[in-house]
Amino acid sequence: MQKLKIQNNQFNIGHICTKQQCEEGRGDKVAMRWINATLEKKDYTFNDLESESNRFANVLQKLGFGKGDIFFTFLPKAPEQFFAFLGTLKLQAIAGTLFSNFGEDSLLDRLGDSGARGIITKKSLYKKLSRIREKLPALKCIILTDIEEHLSDDVLSYQLLMSEVSEKFNVAITSPDTPSVLHYTSGSTGKPKGVQHLHRSILLQSYTSENIMQLNENEIFWCTADQGWVTGTSYGIIGPWSLGVTQIHFGGAYDAEVWMNLLEEEQVSIWYSAPTALRMLMREEASVFQKHHLDKLKHIFSVGEPLNPEIIHWSQQLLKKDIYDTWFQTETGSIMISNRPGINIKPGSMAKPLDIIEAAIISDKGEILGNKLSGNLCLKAGWDSMFSMYLNNEEVYNKKFKNGYYYSGDLAYRDDEGYYWFLGRNDDVINTAGHLISPFEIESALLELPEIAESGVIGAQDDVLFEKVVAYVRLHKNVIWNDDLEMKIRLYLSNKLSSIATPQQIIIVDEVPKNKSGKIMRRVLKAWYEGKDPGDISTLDV
Amino acid sequence: MNTFEQLNSIFCRVFDDNDIRIMPDLTANDIDGWDSLSHINLVVAIEKHFKIKFKNSEIIKWKNVGQMYDSIKAQVGE
Repeated sequence: MQKLKIQNNQFNIGHICTKQQCEEGRGDKVAMRWINATLEKKDYTFNDLESESNRFANVLQKLGFGKGDIFFTFLPKAPEQFFAFLGTLKLQAIAGTLFSNFGEDSLLDRLGDSGARGIITKKSLYKKLSRIREKLPALKCIILTDIEEHLSDDVLSYQLLMSEVSEKFNVAITSPDTPSVLHYTSGSTGKPKGVQHLHRSILLQSYTSENIMQLNENEIFWCTADQGWVTGTSYGIIGPWSLGVTQIHFGGAYDAEVWMNLLEEEQVSIWYSAPTALRMLMREEASVFQKHHLDKLKHIFSVGEPLNPEIIHWSQQLLKKDIYDTWFQTETGSIMISNRPGINIKPGSMAKPLDIIEAAIISDKGEILGNKLSGNLCLKAGWDSMFSMYLNNEEVYNKKFKNGYYYSGDLAYRDDEGYYWFLGRNDDVINTAGHLISPFEIESALLELPEIAESGVIGAQDDVLFEKVVAYVRLHKNVIWNDDLEMKIRLYLSNKLSSIATPQQIIIVDEVPKNKSGKIMRRVLKAWYEGKDPGDISTLDV
Repeated sequence: MNTFEQLNSIFCRVFDDNDIRIMPDLTANDIDGWDSLSHINLVVAIEKHFKIKFKNSEIIKWKNVGQMYDSIKAQVGE
């Protein structure tokens, strides 16, 4: 079943999420209830979304942007982020999003690789950008949401720009193969890769919103994900609004009491969050939950990391609700394998693929494996929200596909009832609080510090974060390890990369294990950390 | 520098922003980048700077900078 109807061959995501909703009679319906950090509320109808995103498309056009240009949002959750995202897509420019906690190195990698021509941010975050601006020759303009006057010819006021343009914009008919959304994702080697999606992705984002998350226009939906990540765009913007669903967006930080109040007062009926947030809720006193009436809440969904059975049992007991774990990746663009209402939950399992997705477990040799055998979790290529490329990195893109299957990098097995079970990654990528972190990026940043001679970074099991970042470090001779140096390292990584990339633990060693070709042997580090036998170390360069 | 000014300089260092001016009613919602992970950096930086240790039960009760400052004051004075 697919409720979304493509009209006049118009696949434009910005158009479908706004104008098409108005044309279908939902113009006066609330599209977004914006709740800021101090709990002030403001409603935006689909008419408002349409006019504000039109204005932004006109702003970009006036500034010389056009089809295929890359424009990023770099904002904490804010209404302007949604208008800018949809407006960029309406112009057929490519909408990239950046996590607002990124430090300057993370920004430079992403903005530099993509050749982004513009970005919208706010004054406090602009400081990070201004430090790297000279290294970004393609970046022609910066729009700030919280200044009233332009700062210069290329640092411009959002309010002023928006006040000077029309709220009407004619969206050109957009083919399904037109590039749309760009997210960067980390691998175990090399710099982050730009994952490009196409406007046709809306078909599957809408389909899964409807058929997995049970969204329809009578529901009130809250997706807690930041728009800097794929969940925040696929399910915090595109999927729900393609179905005319009212969304809650909250600009404040995690606070159990506030979150429970929001669920109750806003009568949220479908809630999409992450295991780390749910595990943090689990640590709260039961009274925090018992005093709230969540009778409007029908379903809770989760994404980002495997959902441990304890959370499901906790939710069943305290919230009186099941939690449905969903699995997808930046590259897949939308949910591929999922628990959902109507199928039995096996706690800890990813459950079953969508009815229109073919998943398989494949060995390293390329054999499709039967039930109960572990191997690479793969998907038959060709689904609508499949990424179209890694920007500037065709070689790595091609390596992700073999014999018509996409290799996800996850290891899993399938049981006799067709349920998939996640086993781990087949690379060294760290999944911390639902965010994929490249050990290579952290190791490289560590080596920028003059005190550090060698570094090796791994993910280690953590009760709240799923995996925590652990850094093994060899210091240069004569450098003394002390509290000040530890703090220097932590803050350096937090400010250069992001808070999520900051090691939770730093371990000083005499040598970081490497093989004879100089590759860091992270499996040995992992074994050391877990107190296990590191296995074959015959290739170790010691 | 008094304790509050020292705390301000720690905030500037942790959040990489020399323009931060803390006030007692400031919360995580008022500073970009103050999330649960950078909060750990902040707590560790305060502990190391003032050579003190907070109890977990104390940390989770803080609702704003004022309460954080009260905890520091209780250990090191004004």
